[in-house]
Amino acid sequence: MGLEIDNLWSIEIAGQEFWITETIVNTWFIMLLLIVVAIITRIKLRKFKRVPTGFQNAIEAVVEIFDNFVKNTLGEKLSYVAPWFFMVFMFLLWSALLSVFGLRAPTADWATTFAFAFVSLILMFYMGVKHQKGNYLKTFFEPHFIFFPMNLIGELAKPVSLSFRLFGNMLSGTIILTLYYALTPVFIQFGIPSLLHAFFDVIIGALQTYIFVILSLMYVKTAAD
Amino acid sequence: MHSMVSLLAQTAPEGRVFGLDLQTFFSGSLQLLNGIILAVALSWLLYKPVKEFLRKRADRIQDEIDQAEATMTKGNELIAEYDKKIQAIDQERIEILEAARLTAEDEAKVILAEAQKEAQEIKKRSLENVSKEQVRFQEESRLYIIELASIMAEKYLTQNIDDESQNKLFEETLAKLEETQWLN
Repeated sequence: MGLEIDNLWSIEIAGQEFWITETIVNTWFIMLLLIVVAIITRIKLRKFKRVPTGFQNAIEAVVEIFDNFVKNTLGEKLSYVAPWFFMVFMFLLWSALLSVFGLRAPTADWATTFAFAFVSLILMFYMGVKHQKGNYLKTFFEPHFIFFPMNLIGELAKPVSLSFRLFGNMLSGTIILTLYYALTPVFIQFGIPSLLHAFFDVIIGALQTYIFVILSLMYVKTAAD
Repeated sequence: MHSMVSLLAQTAPEGRVFGLDLQTFFSGSLQLLNGIILAVALSWLLYKPVKEFLRKRADRIQDEIDQAEATMTKGNELIAEYDKKIQAIDQERIEILEAARLTAEDEAKVILAEAQKEAQEIKKRSLENVSKEQVRFQEESRLYIIELASIMAEKYLTQNIDDESQNKLFEETLAKLEETQWLN
């Protein structure tokens, strides 16, 4: 694991060369992992019992807790966006957790965090227009129409800040751990880094995942209300 | 995975940490597409089916609770109904017992009256019998005395008896008379 995002292979689109990066490959790996778990769940769902145990317990707990979390934050009426945020939550969390095993977190690449934050922006506008209709657009011209540029920048800044917050936190962990591995002798590269991984990957990763999701939900709710 | 990434990275140009260019736009677009694919897959395979399963189970449990509550209400109503019936039966039992007691009292009075009447009859009949017996004894005594007097007179006339013999004869006659009465 290095500081930089490695380019793995290139593809050409409209005469322009683009690189498939380490971030994208790692994203596919995490996607594969999550989809396999989802397929196993789907297969096992037919045999789910009334009193859950083991695997069923874990799956039910994750889905139910997240569903309640979204309902409590957005309300019942807006909870139909929960599947998107469920994916965001699971993806961000597993990105952070898998970096414990040396997999560079896809969230340590701004392209990833901005892609997800961009969806939050789209959802924010969509919910605002859908639920508030003209009133939502009117908020851009308040208290006076000359404030429109500032209001617009204020709204556009939300996904930017959201994406940079997560990116910065995940990248900082990656940088610190890379520096640690690069600057310390081999004999202290066992044991001690596990504490750093536990803090930067597990604790900070889980916390930033929660912050990203809760802020996105709050932006959507604010726009819809 | 890590070694494969390192191997491939050796043949590619230097990577980077951050940049605002077409490559970032391309990576971002691809990540957006990946996100959408993953969201659809997770939603279709995991989130919605599990939620549906949980909803159905919650509905089923709620149905069972409602059914149990309805059964309990019905049971309580049945208990109240049977309590009422038991109270009615108790009341009926008390009424039947009271009626039976009154009937028994009436019957006892009738029986007692009949018994008293019968006893009076028996007593009356007994007294009549006693009177008849008295008359009969008086008559029989009179006849025996007459007979005795006749015997004495006969013996007096046939024998020359002294006072002592006369007394003895009287005693014998009297004893015979007493014996005769006992036998009767």
